[in-house]
Amino acid sequence: MTQGDRLPDVRYRSGGPAQLADVLERVLDKGIVVAGDIRINLLDIELLTVRIRLLIASADKAKEMGIDWWEGDPFLKRGSGDGSALEGRLRRLEAAAGLDGEDERSER
Amino acid sequence: MSEPAPPPSAAWYVYGVVSATTQPEGTGIGARPVELVPEGDVAALVSVVPADEFGEASLLERLNDRSWLERTAREHEDTLERALARTTVVPFRLCTVYESREHVVEFLSAHGPALAGLLQRLEGRIELGVKAYFAGAAAPEPDEPQSGREYLLRRQREREAAEEAARFKSEFAQASHEVLAAAAEEARANPPQPPELSGRADEMLLNGAYLVRRDDGRLAEAVAELESRFGPRGVTYELTGPWPPYNFVPPEVVGT
Repeated sequence: MTQGDRLPDVRYRSGGPAQLADVLERVLDKGIVVAGDIRINLLDIELLTVRIRLLIASADKAKEMGIDWWEGDPFLKRGSGDGSALEGRLRRLEAAAGLDGEDERSER
Repeated sequence: MSEPAPPPSAAWYVYGVVSATTQPEGTGIGARPVELVPEGDVAALVSVVPADEFGEASLLERLNDRSWLERTAREHEDTLERALARTTVVPFRLCTVYESREHVVEFLSAHGPALAGLLQRLEGRIELGVKAYFAGAAAPEPDEPQSGREYLLRRQREREAAEEAARFKSEFAQASHEVLAAAAEEARANPPQPPELSGRADEMLLNGAYLVRRDDGRLAEAVAELESRFGPRGVTYELTGPWPPYNFVPPEVVGT
């Protein structure tokens, strides 16, 4: 079996634990659901909403500059589906949460 | 330090799936011991958590609590990294919670073949992350222009430099991802993190995840090669890991 396997001792992280953003990005799925017997739509969670909004904001900014090559990545296309629907939903959630949506996307 | 007493009402938190021959080790969330729930050839890596903390009602609240989220995410990650150091893991995302041990067994037996297949696919593999940052175009010339003509020339130079930087940005990240993907078995390009997440002023233009054999040094070599190629143009690379292969577990396998 795999008991004999050993990780190479190399740790690429420069000392210390991994950056929180890197951990969260991996352990939180792309805003789908908490699994198992417990079902929660993560999009209903303010903190995650903010995080996803940041990701979308950054993707938008990159797109404005003509950089959108990762959009062809099938893994990103799968999952949460229609980005504009997601964005509309985020706006409504932000409004409901009293977060004043920053203006970076207000022109869209 | 003595072990915390079992919670009055328990739920089963699943970190991921390993081979049934794995020995559980250490503690997980809330310093409770990590256990194995085997079913056939595969086993869930679990620990008992308080049902009131991880129930639907309070979980919503907890996930909004930044310090709770950070602590739980780290405990989840640490538990999987400890397992990854010794064996192959199919990592689950945060908060896969079952009401009973029997439900964990039911999940395993329902998804047994898919989980066993994925364990076999991931055998001896780890995930590495590579991020690339671009320092941006050169700063504008500091001294005052001496004439209108010089001013206009300078503006033109700046415009050309900005266009060149934009062209370079749209090309180097994809070129980097292609070079890295060629050194990996599977590759995913995730959306770059904004500075609020990355904590760096330089713009992130590549946020890739790469599945490699744990003893394969080719990805690190590819990063070094890219560094010598694009470094002089203001690009820096950051290699992270080894990570449990989160980016290479299809969502349909993990019980969602």
